[in-house]
Amino acid sequence: MTGATTLAVADAGLPSTAAHTDPATEPLAAAPSRIGRLLRSGSFMVGAAIVLFWVFCALFGPFVVPYDPYSDDLLNTLAMPSAAHWFGTDQIGRDILSRVIVGAGPILSVAPLATLLATAAGTTLGLLTGYVGGWLDSLIGRLIEVLLALPLIVVALLVLVALGPSSTTVIGVIGIIFTPLIARTVRSAVLSERSLDYVAAAELRGEGALHIMFVEILPNVLPPILVETTVRLGYAIFTVASLSFLGFGIQPPSADWGLAISENYGLMTGGYWWTVSFAAGATASLVVGVNLVADGIQAALE
Amino acid sequence: MRQSPRFLDRLRQNASDLENHVVDEFLAGRLDRRGLLREGSRFGLALPLIGGLLGTLDPFGASRALAQTGQKDATIRVASPTPAGAVEPVTVANEGGLVMLMQTGEFLIFDQPDLVLRPMLALSWKANDDGTVWTFTLRPNVKFHNGRVLNADDVVATMDRLANPKNGSNALSAFRGVLSVGGTRKVDDLTVEFHLDAPNGNFPYIVSSDNYNAIILPADYAGDFEKTFIGTGPFKLDKYTAKVGASFVRNPDYWGSKALPARTEFTFFADQQPQILALQGGQVDIILHLVVQGAQGMLNDPDVKIIKTRAATHRQLHMRTDIPKFADKRVRQAIALSLDRPALAAGLFRGLAEPGNDSPFAPVYPSTNKEVPQRKKDITAARALMAAAGVPNGFEATLTTERVQEIPDYAVLVQNACREIGVKLNLKIETDSAYYGKAQPGQSDWLDSEMGITDYGHRGVPNVLLGAPLLSTGAWNAAHFKNPTYDGLVAQYTATTDLGTQRELAGKIQTLLLDETPVIFAYFYDYLMATSPGVSGAVNTAISQVFLANATIT
Repeated sequence: MTGATTLAVADAGLPSTAAHTDPATEPLAAAPSRIGRLLRSGSFMVGAAIVLFWVFCALFGPFVVPYDPYSDDLLNTLAMPSAAHWFGTDQIGRDILSRVIVGAGPILSVAPLATLLATAAGTTLGLLTGYVGGWLDSLIGRLIEVLLALPLIVVALLVLVALGPSSTTVIGVIGIIFTPLIARTVRSAVLSERSLDYVAAAELRGEGALHIMFVEILPNVLPPILVETTVRLGYAIFTVASLSFLGFGIQPPSADWGLAISENYGLMTGGYWWTVSFAAGATASLVVGVNLVADGIQAALE
Repeated sequence: MRQSPRFLDRLRQNASDLENHVVDEFLAGRLDRRGLLREGSRFGLALPLIGGLLGTLDPFGASRALAQTGQKDATIRVASPTPAGAVEPVTVANEGGLVMLMQTGEFLIFDQPDLVLRPMLALSWKANDDGTVWTFTLRPNVKFHNGRVLNADDVVATMDRLANPKNGSNALSAFRGVLSVGGTRKVDDLTVEFHLDAPNGNFPYIVSSDNYNAIILPADYAGDFEKTFIGTGPFKLDKYTAKVGASFVRNPDYWGSKALPARTEFTFFADQQPQILALQGGQVDIILHLVVQGAQGMLNDPDVKIIKTRAATHRQLHMRTDIPKFADKRVRQAIALSLDRPALAAGLFRGLAEPGNDSPFAPVYPSTNKEVPQRKKDITAARALMAAAGVPNGFEATLTTERVQEIPDYAVLVQNACREIGVKLNLKIETDSAYYGKAQPGQSDWLDSEMGITDYGHRGVPNVLLGAPLLSTGAWNAAHFKNPTYDGLVAQYTATTDLGTQRELAGKIQTLLLDETPVIFAYFYDYLMATSPGVSGAVNTAISQVFLANATIT
């Protein structure tokens, strides 16, 4: 079963998450020691600090920015970083520092919601296919394989072209395309739980399938789900930024980082590096931060 | 008052009333030298007459004289936008395609960058007194690349093909209401008459290079242009590879001076940045069309020559006059008053643009009436107008537009400006194909949106811009503007052959459009071509055409 999990993760080209986790040997009762290990993890603490910084910016950015991030100044366009504008100004004279700070908001609202959607749907599908098995498992398994065979960004673009770009659509699209990945991880974890005695006992007690899946099995497969969710969050951030860069994500005049890169990347060859570098650096730092958190959680669970 | 030399009186005896009117305007001082060239060329004024008035007989030799500084027989390499779809003269409607047409094809007339017409395949042209019939004399001994000699039948067939709605002709935007199938008639092998649907004083522009589809093709053209690139031009096709590039070689049988370059090579690019890198890296010699956005760093680069051409290229910000939000013209006026036009020109185009005055009459047009006051930003007046219109607290609307060049930035600036008068605009920015849709009402965000921004290219005369987007019957009337007075004024303007009367009518049209404001014309920006410093003699127009016959490189 663990081998199946490893294969599933490897197929998706992702770092192994649930593969090293065995909920049977690491019951939830061990949670306090895991938290202790987490807090002692350097990578986790650094990652958490980065993520918390951007969360702070997302929540309180509008109150701390030096300038209105949406206000233009056509007589001061493409100004270099200076004491007045630490990160310079963009093509229509907006303060880039203010926009980078406020830009954390869109990405940190869209990416986590998309990840939560994928986690909820993927967990449900994984529990269903792993526990029920049989033809349902085969059917959903094949559908998942079909979905996974399609290039992620192409599927996202097709859906966004059909439905029109908006934050809601982006959440839905990313949620849907990440669902199969989470479902496969959860299914693998459920398969290793299904044959354990506590599941047989629940069945002997006459518990319904839904009860067994969501009350008995789910708590025991939470650790791999948690790790998978954290990893997915990193990918979701990157996907949101990519879609915005391609013009199919968050719309102007949003200060979204991907959009900022898209609007200004053409200026790089002209020497206006600051119009892109800070937004790109912010995106990279958030992705790195989330990945460090994911690594920390994984290490703690191991 | 200038004096009329005696020899001119003899030449004037053979000139028409319209031609003599132009001479009178010049002698009276109401036309300057450039104006005489432009107006004289419009009416096909005889070169000896123009030369006599100006003291020169060769006003058109500048580019070849300039080019003599470089090497002949060079290969000129051009970075060009990728043609969208097939390169077919009748249907091409994109920058990449139109520049391919004129590499081998030629027009009856060349509309130079300064809007002066120059004979190309037509040696001369003149109108009857009311501008309903124009007679063109063709250049003799012109050969197509297949060896056949050009004659009037080829011109008739070409124009009928372009005027026929069944062909999906892109030229119909210029021909509709002007020239119909059967309107072009052969008089003899070298004379063609155009019988127009209505009087038109600017007709030569409509069959000039300004109408980029109007290259003259053989009468028996079989619709296979991409294979042959058949034409009469100074270059012949060497190789064309769709989506990749094209190369052309000198035509040894060309009717005029032979091309200076032995070869030209066009490489197609989808984006501007690789073009800039290619020019900086020496892989190309010319960037056909440089857009300010993304090229700011290049504008002051001493290793790059920027050729600026004043143009009427602009964006139209339409407001649906037939829906409650924008039905009251005071609301439309208020929104127009919220824009700071000089700042838009400075900020979006680094000053390479001029403020617009909410009509298609760009500063570059000689017929534009410059006495009409320029609209300026006035938030106090705008708020008063909003209050008078019953919406002192503004309203919410959606501004739909396309992701092209500076337009998304312009949309954000409009959004910010409108916020000052309480109008909350939500932006819907989409691909240009999604924005234009099927270009039919009910199937196009462009024509259906309550407010939108649309890109419009340069035209040598404002006729098309006065018609399609603003006439009650206009096919591009996104503002759904219907005003019989306007329609009547445009009909008069179009029929007028005299510049003074055109200016007078333009003033009335400009004043009416300022009052009604169905469309905001906030700026008109320059066309830019970039070359390496050693290139000279390349001539471009503001609609992305580049004539390389006189180009050299050092």
